[in-house]
Amino acid sequence: MLVNTYSKRVFNLSYQFAGSYQEAEDLTQDIFLKLYNSLSKYDFKRSFSAWLLTLTKNYLIDQYRRTKWEKKSRDDFNDHYLPSEAFENPEEGIMKEENKRTIWHGINNLTSEIRMAVILRDIQGKQYEEIAEIMSLPLGTVKSRINRGRLQLAKILKEKKERRNEM
Amino acid sequence: MKCEKIEKLLSPYLEDELTPEEKRAVVKHLKTCENCSLLFSLMEETKESLASIPELEVSESLLDRLHSIPSKKRRFKLRLPTFDFLVRPSLQPVLTVATVVLIMASFYFFGPNKSSIDKSISRQIHLGYSKIEKLYAKAESFTASLGEHKDNILVSLKNIKLLGGNED
Repeated sequence: MLVNTYSKRVFNLSYQFAGSYQEAEDLTQDIFLKLYNSLSKYDFKRSFSAWLLTLTKNYLIDQYRRTKWEKKSRDDFNDHYLPSEAFENPEEGIMKEENKRTIWHGINNLTSEIRMAVILRDIQGKQYEEIAEIMSLPLGTVKSRINRGRLQLAKILKEKKERRNEM
Repeated sequence: MKCEKIEKLLSPYLEDELTPEEKRAVVKHLKTCENCSLLFSLMEETKESLASIPELEVSESLLDRLHSIPSKKRRFKLRLPTFDFLVRPSLQPVLTVATVVLIMASFYFFGPNKSSIDKSISRQIHLGYSKIEKLYAKAESFTASLGEHKDNILVSLKNIKLLGGNED
């Protein structure tokens, strides 16, 4: 029951955060093990999915600090994500795919807390209030972290474009 | 406004969360500052790219692994007793003291000066013992001298009115 309902959410968050498919599968298994051990601590006043995502976030950030994933490279974007549907302008399509790849790898340059906030907001499309609850942070802090993350990624994209123009 | 201040407002501007006054200031700045304007359009591209990352399906092998967790856990529990209580935060001071005691004990048992430590300990014990003996001897002599004056003390106590003694 829990596996069927929540495994996709936990796995996707783990993959987007860690960037490695194999690592994400192992992390999902560890998180579910932790979940079964912590079920007795669940506070029924809280939303279960927010509680589970908080547990997932804590585990991912703890593991990140222990193992320092940022030193490892992320899977290539197209290893598991299929290219988007064909664009009317093929050149524009190639450019967009290239940008997506740059940003996907650029996520590794973000600190764990900023990375988590950006993923929850921009990839998963969660509301700021929901992110604040999951991350146990004030709303203002969440917003400023997301802004910093987006700026860092935009700067990475800028550098990449400048290098491409120089070539 | 300076570029650093504008940078902080780019995300709220992108999500239309600024006050009309802040919005005017950002629009005005973006019209004149090429760098911030480029950064803003790249931020829009970044947001768009991130939003287009799809959700992946969970593989069958992972689902099998996840479904087998509860039974694995049960089997594990039956075989091994749990020592969870050892990692409780409230036990930390006790464990710290125990560690210090063990370290000191290891210095004593495995250190090169064990025999000299033993000697000094036994010397201290003997010194303590002889002090106690002296004290005991003194106490005995004091009780003996007290016994000599016992009668005089009793008479004088009886003569004190406060204690209800007789004048006879």
